Amino acid sequence: MEKKPSHVRTVIAYIVLIILTFLCLFFFYILIINASRHHSEIQKGFSFLPGTAFVRNLKNVLKDANIPVVSGIKNSLIVSSLSAAIATYFSALTAYGLYAYNFKLKKPAFIFIMLILVMPTQVSALGFINLITKMKMLNTLYPLFLPSIAAPAVFYFMYSYMQSSLPIELVEAARIDGCGEFRTFNRIVLPIMKPAMAVQAIFAFVSSWNNFFIPALVISDNSKKTLPILIASLRSADFLKFDMGKVYMLITIAIVPIIIVYIALSKYIVAGVALGGVKE
Amino acid sequence: MAGISFKNVVKTYDNGVTVIPDLNLEIEDKEFVVLVGPSGCGKSTTLRMIAGLESISEGELYIGDRLINAVPPKNRNIAMVFQSYALYPHMSVYKNMAFALELAKMPKDEIDRKVKEAAEILGLIPYLDRKPKALSGGQRQRVALGRAMVRNPEVFLLDEPLSNLDAKLRTEMRSQISKLHKQLGTTFVYVTHDQTEAMTMGDRICVMKDGIIQQFDTPQNLYDYPCNLFVAGFIGSPQMNFIDATVVEAAEGGYALCFGETKVMIDREELALYVGKTVICGIRPEDFHAEEQFFHGSNVLKAEIDLDEMMGSESYLYLNYAGQKLVTRVPARYAKRTGETIELAVDLVKVHVFDKETELTICQ
Repeated sequence: MEKKPSHVRTVIAYIVLIILTFLCLFFFYILIINASRHHSEIQKGFSFLPGTAFVRNLKNVLKDANIPVVSGIKNSLIVSSLSAAIATYFSALTAYGLYAYNFKLKKPAFIFIMLILVMPTQVSALGFINLITKMKMLNTLYPLFLPSIAAPAVFYFMYSYMQSSLPIELVEAARIDGCGEFRTFNRIVLPIMKPAMAVQAIFAFVSSWNNFFIPALVISDNSKKTLPILIASLRSADFLKFDMGKVYMLITIAIVPIIIVYIALSKYIVAGVALGGVKE
Repeated sequence: MAGISFKNVVKTYDNGVTVIPDLNLEIEDKEFVVLVGPSGCGKSTTLRMIAGLESISEGELYIGDRLINAVPPKNRNIAMVFQSYALYPHMSVYKNMAFALELAKMPKDEIDRKVKEAAEILGLIPYLDRKPKALSGGQRQRVALGRAMVRNPEVFLLDEPLSNLDAKLRTEMRSQISKLHKQLGTTFVYVTHDQTEAMTMGDRICVMKDGIIQQFDTPQNLYDYPCNLFVAGFIGSPQMNFIDATVVEAAEGGYALCFGETKVMIDREELALYVGKTVICGIRPEDFHAEEQFFHGSNVLKAEIDLDEMMGSESYLYLNYAGQKLVTRVPARYAKRTGETIELAVDLVKVHVFDKETELTICQ
């Protein structure tokens, strides 16, 4: 018979979970409360009750000519969606290449990709800026999503998933059935990889959405700025015009798409955590 | 329709291991050939070379008159059934079977006709809309067969297709595959490590060991006239008894094989070279007889039964005689129980003699 968990243990577990949930949700709460308060109210200190300036803050943010919020959202959406799509597709393709084919430099190629994984973005930033300047891509959106083609972490996840879930016989069966190599990947391998692709798409989307470092280096035009840069520029605005209500409002706007993505795809996120474990 | 011929085919892997040193094999058109042997004997590699899933290091491989060394799998006009079935998990049974035809750009109504025809033969009509994971092992196996059937391939390749099924289903599918072969009239190449499957299904069986063909013959010939110790031991269940025996010249002429108290008279010239030497005497379990008419004096052995296995119509008796373990198969009415002593006569006509060093057959 299964042992019943003791009462005390359950209570402790719930208390810990409640504290953790509170820690997670408290900041969202403060953010939304502050987004509805005046700058002066916010300066006075912390409050649990919402203010009355929600619509005013929203209008201020949308009206501000220096902060093109709508185009910011649009740019962020374009960059994040393309990053997610490119990162997952090409990482799966690379992983498939290393998983399904035997060639001489297979091992060195794998190690090389793993080495890139441990390289921080900041190390290569200067070279990257030099490169895109030469390629005349400075101040465009391309450098924000094109590098996602090479995403070693996504690649590694895909590779592990293939090892556990993609029997090589399926690929061989497809070849015998008359599939070319690309068609085998697109028609047979990709559908099997769907859960892994979904999880990685979410993570890639979110990390691209939050990315500040590279866009800050690359983009200078207001109309091409993504949301994190807009938030930063609002915070560092002129002392006289500085409005905390506006800052909180903009942050609130910035997290809405992420919340939607998480709620819509939470099933896959949970699955994704489980995917890391052993299958079968 | 086409035969297959291997001409001096060599397979060496990138790590330098040669699994097939020199293969010459002619499989005739419409023949059912079974490749059989222990794990790692190169039988699957041979099959995969026909499929084009393994490259050929040296030599030539023909399907019909066509040299196919460099032809990709999809252009070989073959179909393959895998041990794991390899059904596409995201497609329904119908889609699985139709996939190859869709790729070949066959008109939709013809695909539908072919898939339904195959599904009808295999009893899959009620399952056409199901995904593979909602099917039992036997049903999945039939889908895999159906997927191969619809393509009308020149050659059908089957890689241990029954090993994931339970014993009852395996017997059922065995006869279904044999029927299918007759129905389709195509060349079948079937890989297994199970000699029962090989014996019951194959027109001819190719016994392999360490990448070398030991013998390629009809099931009956393999059983009656094995060319060496390996084939003799591999084919037949329970396996042939191997007894160390000394060759002596018999007083009444000819030669005799002596082990324990038993003397088996064999009048074969081939034994002249072995007088005074030890050879291996091979006797099939059913060639020990408890019936009186087989008793000719010295060909009898008397031993205590270590273990008896009653099978209903017959009984397997495990004996210990002259320091050697023997297994015999006798009709149930002659069987005795464990611990009892039994007298059995060796059938003089059915004795196989093998050279102890080369392990080749001396006479049989």
